[in-house]
Amino acid sequence: MSEYLLEVQNLCKKFPIKGGIFGREVGAVNAVNDVSFKIKKGETLGLVGESGCGKTTLGRSILRLIEPTSGAVIFNGQNIVDFDANQMREMRRKMQIIFQDPYASLNPRMTVQGILSEPMDIHKLCMDKEVRKKRLLDLLDQVQLPADALNKYPHEFSGGQRQRICIARALAVEPEFIVCDEPVSALDVSVQAQVVNLLMDLQKDLGITFLFIAHDLKVVEYISKRVAVMYLGNMVEIAESSELYGGARHPYTKALFSAIPKPDPTLKKDRILLEGDIPSPMNPPSGCHFHPRCWNATDECRKDYPGVKAESSTHEYRCFNPIQLSEK
Amino acid sequence: MAEKILDVKDLVVEFNTDRGGVTAVNGVNLEVFKGKTLGLVGESGSGKSVTALSIMRLIPTPPGNIAAGEIRFRDKNLLDIPLDNMRSIRGNKIAMIFQEPMTSLNPVFTVGNQIEEVLELHQKELSNAQRKEKAIEMLRLVGIPSPEQRIEEYPHQLSGGMRQRVMIAMSLACEPDLLIADEPTTALDVTIQAQILELMKKLQDELGMGILLITHDLGVVAETCDDVAVMYCGQIVETADVKTLFAHPQHPYTKGLIESIPSFDSTSGKVKDRLPTIEGMVPSLFNLPEGCNFQGRCQNVSEKCRGSAGEPKLETIATEHQVRCFHPLS
Ligand SMILES: Nc1ncnc2c1ncn2[C@@H]1O[C@H](COP(=O)(O)OP(=O)(O)OP(=O)(O)O)[C@@H](O)[C@H]1O
Ligand SMILES: Nc1ncnc2c1ncn2[C@@H]1O[C@H](COP(=O)(O)OP(=O)(O)OP(=O)(O)O)[C@@H](O)[C@H]1O
Ligand code: SF4
Ligand code: SF4
Ligand SMILES: [Mg+2]
Ligand SMILES: [Mg+2]
Repeated sequence: MSEYLLEVQNLCKKFPIKGGIFGREVGAVNAVNDVSFKIKKGETLGLVGESGCGKTTLGRSILRLIEPTSGAVIFNGQNIVDFDANQMREMRRKMQIIFQDPYASLNPRMTVQGILSEPMDIHKLCMDKEVRKKRLLDLLDQVQLPADALNKYPHEFSGGQRQRICIARALAVEPEFIVCDEPVSALDVSVQAQVVNLLMDLQKDLGITFLFIAHDLKVVEYISKRVAVMYLGNMVEIAESSELYGGARHPYTKALFSAIPKPDPTLKKDRILLEGDIPSPMNPPSGCHFHPRCWNATDECRKDYPGVKAESSTHEYRCFNPIQLSEK
Repeated sequence: MAEKILDVKDLVVEFNTDRGGVTAVNGVNLEVFKGKTLGLVGESGSGKSVTALSIMRLIPTPPGNIAAGEIRFRDKNLLDIPLDNMRSIRGNKIAMIFQEPMTSLNPVFTVGNQIEEVLELHQKELSNAQRKEKAIEMLRLVGIPSPEQRIEEYPHQLSGGMRQRVMIAMSLACEPDLLIADEPTTALDVTIQAQILELMKKLQDELGMGILLITHDLGVVAETCDDVAVMYCGQIVETADVKTLFAHPQHPYTKGLIESIPSFDSTSGKVKDRLPTIEGMVPSLFNLPEGCNFQGRCQNVSEKCRGSAGEPKLETIATEHQVRCFHPLS
């Protein structure tokens, strides 16, 4: 079997745009466009990019919570895009998702015991009463919540604790892969670090593979060995996180990383200020979607869409005029 | 020393709720100087927005109530001014950018109407044509492309970043002396945030306004503020100039906040170190402990912090550096 747990190949997701009085299809948003990448077992791939660039759509398409328009998702050697509903149900156990807003994703009328039991009931896990009880307590322990949490309701917990409940719910079915969609974005600064550490510990102990989506690049860089950057539905660069910060080849990656405010008042600002707004994904610019904001853009960029170039076995980007090493 | 334009003294703001009364702001002191930026940071619910709204006299009453304190704007105590007169100060001498731009723009008027309305209120001498021209100029200044067209559009036709820039254009249209910006960039993407912070800085240099910048992003503070005040449970726990605060934080909460930011120069490839964290969570305002509000999460906590010596007071430990802690870190 391959060393990769997940291989995404040329994945596309189009959303139809309806218009007119008959609600006919008048166009489409290419929310995810020809995206390919692989994740090794036990690895974390970070996924960054600005609002609306397609991160959530990509994460949900991989789990088939949204049906991809085309492309393949190879999980453990099998293309799950071809799976029927029964096969998919079995697969769902192995692939879980954690959302940004821990409050909205928990049923307010269920106790923590009910919330954690639900996925186990669906998948008929730990059906013996004693075994179930022990499993529930183990789960709470794994996410560092006290045992008396079982009989409480979501509103009795803080934001950080609720996110721990969501993590425990995802862990309940012993998944191999978890999509974390902005899991710490809604949390307070001082609590973010607690949840980030918890996720890293779980990966070490249980060998879970993560796709970690966030727009806070500092958090992503910290938690992920490799990072992929998206812009308007396209994956424009993917590399080791240490390499991306200093050695980005795509102009957008470089601008994105330089825009992060650094928490050190003695540093001199060395910032690339991008002109203009992020264009609408409904009507993206021709050629390379980044060209209206790019300082390296040439005629070629306005006409054609750049293909994938490999810098090394771990570093790929899509750009006609990449940043030269001397430009750094 | 620059001229002091805002001086908040011992501000106390209370709210009556179904669960009883809470003191959301409990004895806050702040100073903003001409041409300078004061950063106000702290956890969610620590009272940052309530402090800002009090300065604008926009606290909903009831349930809210400014129970004590002074808000001196230049030589006036804003709390003594009749609310009617406050209206001419608001948006004229003091402007505010709110946390959520969509809720503070009127959806049924065009962007142009809204900027022109501000100008009509505050620069009565302008003719209609001049007002329109000025509104276009303001939009151009905040970096909105083709402002002649945009001025005819409604807020929902603009992206979040553009709406926030329209808010900034509106608040700067009357060249205020003081700008209060409540998380002006939190909802925006980093490349847009960088544009807007740069713009605010440029306008500050041109107009010499003082800025009170509320944020929870210490990166933004480090890059844009001259001074910083850190809030916790309705109180200022530390205040200093920005370099001192980052280099020598004295309050354990400030130090914890700075340390829990994932650092950027981590060398990848090997297993990364754990992030330092502040354990536990913020106590409820309904159920604050005796003594120091941070005791439940503090590693330096002693008997004294648990109430035997009362609450720690905000003490001056060096020039321009104050801290509310019985055992400052030194
Ligand atoms: N169900 C849907 N129907 C139509 N368009 C959609 C749908 N879901 C997403 N989109 C569009 O697809 C694009 C990508 O959205 P997505 O939510 O994946 O972005 P994102 O990168 O997760 O953004 P954010 O950082 O704001 O969460 C957006 O333009 C969005 O408007
Ligand atoms: N309208 C209101 N009614 C009742 N209580 C309120 C009201 N507005 C604010 N409060 C109380 O005041 C406290 C401080 O709120 P505030 O909005 O100032 O926090 P903040 O520091 O701005 O937080 P955030 O970072 O989440 O914006 C809250 O915990 C809340 O209990
Ligand atoms: S392909 Fe051209 S426009 Fe696109 S990022 Fe590269 S240089 Fe810029
Ligand atoms: S007063 Fe005591 S508990 Fe409070 S911050 Fe200082 S050392 Fe910690
Ligand atoms: Mg998303
Ligand atoms: Mg607020």
